[in-house]
Amino acid sequence: MSAHLTLRGLSRCYGSPAPPALSDLHLAAPAGSCLAVVGPSGSGKTTVLRLASGLDRPDAGDVLLNGKSVLDVAPEDRGIAMVFQRPMLFPHRNVLDNVAFSARVRGASRRRARIEAAEYLDLVQLSGFGSRHPAELSGGQEQRVALARALAAQPQVLLLDEPFSALDAALRSQMHDLVRRVRAALNPTIVLVTHDQNEAASLADCVAVLSSGRLVQHDTFDRIYTRPTSLVTARQMGGRNEVPGEVRGHHHHSVLGSLALPVDVRPPQGTGVLVFRQESVQVTGATDPGADIHGLVKAVQPTGPRSLLTIEVAAGGRPKAEEQSVKIHAETPPGHCAGVGARVGVRLAPHALAVVPPAPQEDLHRAQMAAGQNRNVGFPVPRRALSD
Amino acid sequence: MTPAVRAGRAVLRVFLVTWFLLPLVPLVLWAATETWTGATPLPQKWGAQGFTDAFADGGALAFLRSLALGCVVALLATPAGTVAARALTLRTVPRPRFVSALLIAPVVLPVFAVVMGLDVVLLRLHVPGELGIVLVLAVASLPYTTYLMRLAYSAYDFAFEDEARTLGASRRAVLWRVRLPLLAPGLAAAAFLAFLVGWSDYIVTLLIGGGRFVTLPVLVASAASGTGNEPTVAALSITALVPPFLALAAVGVLRRSLARPMSRLTARPTPGNAFHRALPTRGAAA
Repeated sequence: MSAHLTLRGLSRCYGSPAPPALSDLHLAAPAGSCLAVVGPSGSGKTTVLRLASGLDRPDAGDVLLNGKSVLDVAPEDRGIAMVFQRPMLFPHRNVLDNVAFSARVRGASRRRARIEAAEYLDLVQLSGFGSRHPAELSGGQEQRVALARALAAQPQVLLLDEPFSALDAALRSQMHDLVRRVRAALNPTIVLVTHDQNEAASLADCVAVLSSGRLVQHDTFDRIYTRPTSLVTARQMGGRNEVPGEVRGHHHHSVLGSLALPVDVRPPQGTGVLVFRQESVQVTGATDPGADIHGLVKAVQPTGPRSLLTIEVAAGGRPKAEEQSVKIHAETPPGHCAGVGARVGVRLAPHALAVVPPAPQEDLHRAQMAAGQNRNVGFPVPRRALSD
Repeated sequence: MTPAVRAGRAVLRVFLVTWFLLPLVPLVLWAATETWTGATPLPQKWGAQGFTDAFADGGALAFLRSLALGCVVALLATPAGTVAARALTLRTVPRPRFVSALLIAPVVLPVFAVVMGLDVVLLRLHVPGELGIVLVLAVASLPYTTYLMRLAYSAYDFAFEDEARTLGASRRAVLWRVRLPLLAPGLAAAAFLAFLVGWSDYIVTLLIGGGRFVTLPVLVASAASGTGNEPTVAALSITALVPPFLALAAVGVLRRSLARPMSRLTARPTPGNAFHRALPTRGAAA
């Protein structure tokens, strides 16, 4: 019941003064897989779904299902269902008839459609809610019904447009469990647009990062996380450490000193920004002989049970008059007691380092603007890791 | 709310109800009169002579003509206003402000002047009088239907249609199963106003119909121009009140039936549903 979805060179421009919403996007979601599309607001994520579903037509490119173009197939005949950010339950129908909608428009009798709909309500654990009106449901229940309604259309591809972003964290994780159960039961191909990197991590097999209408990186979540190929990806995934420097040989040279790069990270020689996850930074004592670098704790920001430490590292062993320093960020486990002003040692996991090209000024600005609007990140992405 | 404010509102309410009902009192009295010289506060002799005379003067036929006119005008002006409102809401027309102004024009221009001019044109074109009346009245009610449907569309979420398409609904199915049901309250209100324009028109019917197309208002006016016809005029006028009241009641019932699930919620909140949104009660919504 699932299909291989291929997007080939999709471009879409809404009006000429605006930059293209999407340009030359190539993306594929194998049958039965779950692809997460992430990116800042306005990066073209929703446009991808609208073009795939047929609600909008690309200016160039093609949408293929199992290798066949569906560009000239009307949205209702594509076998692609969509769940929007808002549940969009029809207010003039009760819950059961909402779920029975697709069977009804395809000509099933009311009785037959309702029997089927009840099965899908079971699947989303809302059996017994059929006679309720949508206005009588909670936000989480509404979104469950929306999911059941989309599944009842028996789509080959299910498009989810930030469907859980309006729910609180606990409900969201329940919905994630539900999506996993749906995948196990029906195995549709899923394309999930999300702001939330945790959602992408817990649901998707693959992640595509979009920025300004372009595909920046498409890889497994783990690789996107630890091996970003651009600052955009690193920032989008919530990475906070960016240290400008230079690649010489297999080492990155910066204020942090010369650091050996993992064997699978072989960036071009010359300028490059060292990026590494704050989770992979281990904070130890000031006298730790194994510490890669030493620094001063400038700020401690609790983020739930863990804390985010900002550590200023001064350039060591440089005879220059002007002092250079860089701020790095470390996420520490609960109970870690390094306070502001403490001198600490820092160990960097060697396999966690990656190098990306420096951002052009214009892109940097746009990324900062987008990061500022991106509320689901939970904390502001650092304007610049480097301070002078 | 302080007692003084409450008392003030009660007085205002009584005043408004009186204001609306007072003109109906002589109408009802005259309609039930057989003899009333005016020397006494109430008629000297009660009876249904007014209704009998109204029927004898062709009241039934005039009633049917008016009913048909109102319905046809509503049938023409409601879809036209809906299409116009949709185009204006979606901005699919060039110069939407100009088009809006054009659609409002029939209200702004003095009907009498327009109809005097149009009458000649329609005569030259050999347009039958009945058709001419219907066309002019449909245009005259377009501002109302367009305005009401723009209101309806402004509260309408086009994302419902997108959702329906991805669920397998063709454009046609979207129209019948999503758009029309969701716009039904607005459509009913627009049709009601368009019906009223046709139902109550006098000038257009008289001038373009040349007095040969006798509707209820034309009959009332001709009866009122004579003397001693007060019971007939009153009987016709009261009859003229019935269809709009019935239509208004029907619109009310339709709106109420669409809002029913809401009231069920306020009457019986579902247990264990701590997250349901605070919904306005019927009183607040009205």
